Amino acid sequence: MWKVSTTVEKVMIMAQLAEVKAMNTGPAKNLVTIKGTKEGLTVFLNDQCSYDALTEELKEKVARDHQAFGNGPEVEVKVDVGYRFLTKEQEHQIISLLEEADPIKVKEIQTEVISREEARKEREETGITSYSQIIRSGQDIRVKGDLYLLGDVNPGGTIQATGSIFVLGTLKGTARAGIDGDLRAVVGASVMDPHQLSIAGTYFHAPERHEKKEKGPLYKEPVFAYISEREKEIAFEKTRLLYQMKRDIEKD
Amino acid sequence: MGEAIVVTSGKGGVGKTTTSANIGTALALQGKNVCLMDTDIGLRNLDVVMGLENRIIYDLVDAAEGRCRVKQALIKDKRFDCLHLLPAAQTKDKSAVNPAQMKAIVDELKPDYDYIIIDCPAGIEQGYKNAVSGADQAIVVTTPDTSAVRDADRIVGLLEQEDIDPPKLVVNRVRSQLASQGDMLDVDDVVSTLAIDLLGMIVDDEEVIKAAHRGEPIVMNPNSRASLGYRNIARRILGESVPLMAVEEKKSFFAKVKSMLGLKA
Ligand SMILES: Nc1ncnc2c1ncn2[C@@H]1O[C@H](COP(=O)(O)OP(=O)(O)OP(=O)(O)O)[C@@H](O)[C@H]1O
Ligand SMILES: [Mg+2]
Repeated sequence: MWKVSTTVEKVMIMAQLAEVKAMNTGPAKNLVTIKGTKEGLTVFLNDQCSYDALTEELKEKVARDHQAFGNGPEVEVKVDVGYRFLTKEQEHQIISLLEEADPIKVKEIQTEVISREEARKEREETGITSYSQIIRSGQDIRVKGDLYLLGDVNPGGTIQATGSIFVLGTLKGTARAGIDGDLRAVVGASVMDPHQLSIAGTYFHAPERHEKKEKGPLYKEPVFAYISEREKEIAFEKTRLLYQMKRDIEKD
Repeated sequence: MGEAIVVTSGKGGVGKTTTSANIGTALALQGKNVCLMDTDIGLRNLDVVMGLENRIIYDLVDAAEGRCRVKQALIKDKRFDCLHLLPAAQTKDKSAVNPAQMKAIVDELKPDYDYIIIDCPAGIEQGYKNAVSGADQAIVVTTPDTSAVRDADRIVGLLEQEDIDPPKLVVNRVRSQLASQGDMLDVDDVVSTLAIDLLGMIVDDEEVIKAAHRGEPIVMNPNSRASLGYRNIARRILGESVPLMAVEEKKSFFAKVKSMLGLKA
């Protein structure tokens, strides 16, 4: 810990010195500035100038300060590009320019802007997708994020989500929640009578048909399925207790 | 302009051909112009159930490939002048025609008939695709057992992707005894799973098998229990609202006596 912080200090001093030097040699450009924060070093890149001007100055500064950085222990830096949109190639170029100075390791590029595509993905992964239809035998729908289904899932039909699943209808087919490994995902249904249900790869299989004592669904009131902490298996609980469990999870 | 109705099921042997023959005949009984179309190429049956097998000269594939005009391939029914059959080929297979050819034939027939009843083969492959290509409406036939219902559900899902009206359901071979004992799905279970309109139900009746053997559709026998079911379906297709009777079967004499005495029938 202590060692790192001295290196950080050293780099900061060097960077400041370099800037003073730059001021002496020509008009101040300062498109590239380095600041130390609690979390470490951040390289701020001006977001108003042209990209070429930016890389030009970055190249110069890194070349000039190359020696200053020396070959000391690794320094992790964050790069803040403000409101500039960088393509993947440009990001790579910036990282490799910075890492020309051996000890520097870019740990992340921070930006205030994202592409439409990224925005769509983010929305998908955190959002809720709702369907209003019957998922029939042979049909399989899969969504990122949570899934709300206003309708039934019939035997032979499958619904899958990276998040949780809520069926406002009868779940008779297969439901898979947390398919990317989210252990906190749940599967709720107004009428819970699934053939098979899984959360993050933990499975529940319906009791054999002939073992079923009476006609009718597995649960007669709305329930949700979750992975029980203790037994590491699928458990069911009344839907009206869902909020309690959510609260417990948030406390953890 | 007639309406083309495809009779389909997914699972084989649940009664598509029986249903096609009987609905077609029941509509003809009501004076409608009906064309039955057998699309089960390679496994044709409709001609046998109708008792018309020895009149076939040309078939559907001949018509599709232009070896004859569509009209030349039609066979007139023995009983009704207004009822015709377009038989399937027995020597070819499903790939002998494509959906476009099938639709062209149906479209050519439509102006001359009130109803075209298309008997679909089992399965969801080429034969199914051919059969639905020209249809405006669909009837899904199932028996009240788990696997038939599962396959019917699959078919309903596929039909929902087609440009046709929501399909209607016929539950065939209903045995009230087994259902009430919980050894079989009852019609309510089937309807609630498939969530489509119930067009009618037909009891399991050995007279149906005998009738097929004779080449005379069961609707022609007004005294059979299955006949009533088919006649009701035809009336519903014609727009009448016919109430659904409990399994549409006459209670046996003993059951009636028992229920009069307040015992469980
Ligand atoms: N309601 C009924 N009661 C008794 N037997 C029936 C009934 N309906 C159909 N069957 C019998 O079931 C058998 C299969 O019927 P059918 O040929 O109509 O089925 P299908 O669905 O057309 O079969 P495939 O898939 O082979 O075309 C026949 O022997 C028929 O007589
Ligand atoms: Mg058949």
